[in-house]
Amino acid sequence: MANIFPKWSNKVPIRAVIGILLIVVALTIGVTYYFTPKYANVGYQPIQPVAFDHSLHAGQLGIDCRYCHTYVDRSEHSNIPGANTCMNCHNQVRSDSDALAPIRESYNTGKPVYWVKVHNTPDYVYFNHSVHVNRGVSCVECHGKVNEMKVVFQDKSLTMLFCLDCHRNPEKFLRPIDEVYNLNWKPESEQAQLDMGKKFVHDWKVNPPVSCSGCHR
Amino acid sequence: MKYKFIHPEPKEDDIVGPKYWKSLDEAADTPEFRQWLEREFPAGASEIEGVNRRHFLKIMAASFSFAGLGLAGCRQDEKHMLPYAKQPERNVPGVPLYYATSMPRSRGNIPLIVETQDSRPTKIEGNPSDEFYNGATDAFAQASILDLYDPDRATKSLNADKEPISKEEVEALFQKINEKYAAKKGAGLAILSEKSTSPTRDRFVAELKKLYPELIWAEYEPLNYDNPLKALQAQFGKSLRPWHHFEKAKRILSVGSDFLGMESGHLASAYGFSKTRKVKSTADVEKMSRLYMVEADFTPTGGMADHRLRLETANHAAFLCAIGAEILRQTGGSKALISSLEQKSQGLNVDPAWIKQCADDLVAHKGEALVAVAASLPEEMHVLAMALNTHLGANGKTISYTEVPVTDAQSIDILAEAVKGKKVETLVIMGGNPAYNAPAKLDWANLKSSVPEVIRYGYYFDETSEVSNYHIAANHYLESWSDGRTWEGAYVPVQPMILPLFDGFSELEMLAKLLAKKDFDPYASVKETFINLYPGKNFDEWLSVGVVKDESFKPEDIKVDVAKVEKAVADAKIKPASFTVENLDLQLTPSRQVFDGRYNNNGWLQEMPDPMTKLTWDNAILISPTLADALTEKFGYALLPKPSLMNEMGQANINAAHFDAGKEEAYIAELTVDGQTIRGPLHIQPGLADYAVVVPLGYGRKTVGRVGMGSGFDAYPLMASTDTNAIRSAALKVTSDRYSLANTQEHWSMEGRALLREASAEDYKHNPDFVKKMGLESHSPSIYGTASGDSAKVKATQIPRGGSAYKTPDFKGPQQWGMSIDLNTCTGCSACVVACQSENNIAIVGKDQVLRGREMHWMRLDRYFSSGKDDKTVLPTDPQVSFMSMLCQHCELAPCENVCPVNATVHDEEGLNVMAYNRCVGTRYCANNCPYKVRRFNFFDWNKREIGHFYEGPTGPAGMPELHKMQKNPDVTVRMRGVMEKCTFCVQRIEEAKINQRVKAKDSDNILVPDGTIQTACQQVCPTDSIVFGDVADPTSAVAQAKDSELNYSVLGYLNTRPRTTYLARIRNPNPLMPDFHDQPLSRLEYEKRYGHAASHEEMAAAH
Repeated sequence: MANIFPKWSNKVPIRAVIGILLIVVALTIGVTYYFTPKYANVGYQPIQPVAFDHSLHAGQLGIDCRYCHTYVDRSEHSNIPGANTCMNCHNQVRSDSDALAPIRESYNTGKPVYWVKVHNTPDYVYFNHSVHVNRGVSCVECHGKVNEMKVVFQDKSLTMLFCLDCHRNPEKFLRPIDEVYNLNWKPESEQAQLDMGKKFVHDWKVNPPVSCSGCHR
Repeated sequence: MKYKFIHPEPKEDDIVGPKYWKSLDEAADTPEFRQWLEREFPAGASEIEGVNRRHFLKIMAASFSFAGLGLAGCRQDEKHMLPYAKQPERNVPGVPLYYATSMPRSRGNIPLIVETQDSRPTKIEGNPSDEFYNGATDAFAQASILDLYDPDRATKSLNADKEPISKEEVEALFQKINEKYAAKKGAGLAILSEKSTSPTRDRFVAELKKLYPELIWAEYEPLNYDNPLKALQAQFGKSLRPWHHFEKAKRILSVGSDFLGMESGHLASAYGFSKTRKVKSTADVEKMSRLYMVEADFTPTGGMADHRLRLETANHAAFLCAIGAEILRQTGGSKALISSLEQKSQGLNVDPAWIKQCADDLVAHKGEALVAVAASLPEEMHVLAMALNTHLGANGKTISYTEVPVTDAQSIDILAEAVKGKKVETLVIMGGNPAYNAPAKLDWANLKSSVPEVIRYGYYFDETSEVSNYHIAANHYLESWSDGRTWEGAYVPVQPMILPLFDGFSELEMLAKLLAKKDFDPYASVKETFINLYPGKNFDEWLSVGVVKDESFKPEDIKVDVAKVEKAVADAKIKPASFTVENLDLQLTPSRQVFDGRYNNNGWLQEMPDPMTKLTWDNAILISPTLADALTEKFGYALLPKPSLMNEMGQANINAAHFDAGKEEAYIAELTVDGQTIRGPLHIQPGLADYAVVVPLGYGRKTVGRVGMGSGFDAYPLMASTDTNAIRSAALKVTSDRYSLANTQEHWSMEGRALLREASAEDYKHNPDFVKKMGLESHSPSIYGTASGDSAKVKATQIPRGGSAYKTPDFKGPQQWGMSIDLNTCTGCSACVVACQSENNIAIVGKDQVLRGREMHWMRLDRYFSSGKDDKTVLPTDPQVSFMSMLCQHCELAPCENVCPVNATVHDEEGLNVMAYNRCVGTRYCANNCPYKVRRFNFFDWNKREIGHFYEGPTGPAGMPELHKMQKNPDVTVRMRGVMEKCTFCVQRIEEAKINQRVKAKDSDNILVPDGTIQTACQQVCPTDSIVFGDVADPTSAVAQAKDSELNYSVLGYLNTRPRTTYLARIRNPNPLMPDFHDQPLSRLEYEKRYGHAASHEEMAAAH
């Protein structure tokens, strides 16, 4: 009796097993990558060229965010300070510290310091800092308690869903304008936040965009 | 009760053709055109070159499976943020800075405000501080920013071997010249320059002449607009120039003057003219001006005319004499002058009634009438025009005469003499491109042999650089200090906002080198000029405002010396000519895209369709349908689409159309003038004078960048023998060769159905609601149903459904955006098309892709011809033209949204129809379902791949040149291949305004953006304020008031799309006594012939 199956069919099972294994591996990699906070980069904490300690400057010393991030309330970007801002103090304080060498070099040569970007939104997202901080959304909502971070890391997912959570329910996040830069501020209770938030939404006519044009152009 | 609307069966006429037609094919309604129309994208557009669709899908399926393996590659890269080492003051990253400057032009600078993003100039806008221009600019100014980032510009100075030389070597070169000629008092030194309005340059030129008394300083512009100046100079001995005030004129006669387009001061003219054409209600009709136009070409100004006489250019002078005689007779002019004029116009083949009635009308409006004549007419005619305007009481009212500064310069002819006599040892050519556009003036090919040293200073390496020993790179005006005057005399700065990108020099720096100025500071020189001119005024304020307020040329009283006028007119050699197919009238015009050729390497301008011919990337020999008929008979090539659609066999006639899938296959003809022959494609342009041949200049460049290379043909050789405006007769010979013209006139065609609504002033007075009686919606109950009486706010925000099957979004936003476009004042200048392209990062696709119907303009300017006849067998020769800018209508019930499978196009809360590029998968269903055909698909990575390499895909060179990236607007996404795009109502500007308002509001509720804060790019640029944008829910806003007008209508409104963009119908103001009077605009006559008299649904119901 002639063979029903051609010779190559001997290899089908092994091929199938390898194929299935490959798919499983790809799926595992895919899930661990895309379905976990890794994809959203939560916890991303790169090493910066200068070990700037926010917990010291903003926390212990109590320097206002806007002393360095000068344009946060005027521009879409919250700027990284130039070396001249650092040197305002550091030409007096610890003026010969090794840690500050890159700053001094930048100040003297005019070459920028290569800070590593921590919070990143895609290019097609047109996020604007000024409209948030001027309307009662605190830095802490997106950046976490930076005043307690020795090395800055990404605290929130900054995904579109994260944005929409707030845009759909602004009353949960709004705070008095005076407390925007106070990263330690806390509402008395959840209910107090909701009551106050609702009042702000009504009084200030807060209507955050929830359609595409708000952020994508 | 549900009302089901049944479309009426189409009548025979409906099937045969729409009532407005955009091209001859459409008029003849050839099968090719039908096919074209019925497809959403032009035929070539969706076909893949060389690969059939099935094969393509197979390949793609394979690539997708591979793509899946590369998931891990998506991990975010480490990105860096680089702050300033020392933060400069006032420069806030992310907030654009605006600088006031101006674009230098030979006839008058255009005042500008330039937006810079992180110190890169990105967008040019008009300066609203200038009282005459109303913040307007034209397409040339808009597009000039692209030249700054042109990779083909001269980046380094070159020596004779085309090797780069350093700035120091250039310095040394000029030092040698200084030393040599200072000793010889300048003998042997000649400078040929472009014209300029800069007082600082004038000062330097005067210094040059002092330093080198024997220097030959010559100026040359290929297009001569100086005849009025010369004429008045001869009359009064002063450099006087007429200045037309169209805003005060009620009756205008233009003899060949394209005052809305190419004539000097066109932006101010357009603004002034539009003020007299704004009609909001019947009360405004009386205030409307009336424009009589005599021309050979069909210009946008002719398109605005209420009466248009087609007349060959050579006879314009005779016409002016004829009407001049009539006007003078009625206003008591000198007998001698009248008889001299009568004699000169003897035999002019123009309907005497036209002349008589036009003259009557002008005379009847003494003090409000104006005669404007083309600058190209002979000087005597400008003297006559001045006399006529005086007799019409125009002086000091609709026209004034101002003294203007004139640089004392030699003509190019004198320079040519000197060169021929070997008297020139060093020739410096500053700007311009005389080797291309003054071909006969100098023996360019052998220039180097007669002049030992030719130094060329220019922005591009061009034809003139080829014949020079040195090419010195020029800076862009956005990189240079200078100053200038507008045509009206306002003093404006030219200030840099970016350091020179390359090793170039500014014009003032060049002159300073010739003057051997040490440590030259152009800023200080401009400041010095300013302080000299306006002592006591604040220099810094001038730089920030961009114009010296309330300073312009002052009108002078003139006394007309009749004897002098008589003599001038008597001396004029004028004789009416008659033209035939053997003896044609030739008019060389500047191109509306590349002007005299200087913008030839600008992709935005090359791709901007000419408003009249709709050609891109080429010029053509324009002829009238009558001439086309005659040439067909003479040479036997069928130039015209055949009126009959079927041949004897009953098959569709192959030759019935010029258009093959949107490609205009034009015959090439040879045009001979005075023994000079050029070859170019023929384009048949209805509305030209019968035996006129019109040829736009500026194409066919031989040494030009990659963009301009190969575009069009050069018509300058025809200008060879005499000056530009000389009148010559031409002969045409049609050849059997064909040439593809990228003509966009049939791209994006919409079916008829009363797209355009027009009425004559008289009819409008009696039928103020004529707009509502046109179109299919006039035969149906109101689309708003019982809510039709509701306010605009209720309509915009609550949308009574009126039985719509569409799911409607909620419009809960506090402001609702909308636009109104006034067809009455749109002149078709196309500046909006380029402004939109500049603001929204719209790609250039190149001629090959335009031929396939893939141009990306978000805003297009539809040009409709109407003949008033319903006859498909005879080609109309004297049509009226109407312009309609067409952009995304932002329908409240948008058909595109319902068909998108991935929700990529949806509505936002404020009524915008938005495109989420990231969601778009490129099905193109939306474009298929868009009745306005305003959606554009990225067939290729226009921004990533170079023109010419699109088809190579990933194997071709990738990456946008750094220079191109610098121009991009950072607030607008640069789109990639495979996504759909369209007008966004400049959403980036809306969001910016909203954010700024909220930042200001802080913890108050003052969040409404004040009316007028947001200006879309097209609105900002518009010289006639035809476009109004704003909040339609606010009854006090300008846009809501415009939409309140009874002239307001929606295009294709019966589809119940409820567009947020609506149009104001056009009112024409013809004179009932004129022989070419029609009681309705021609488009309306066509409408009525086809659909019967306009009537509303209620009226029809009553009749039944």
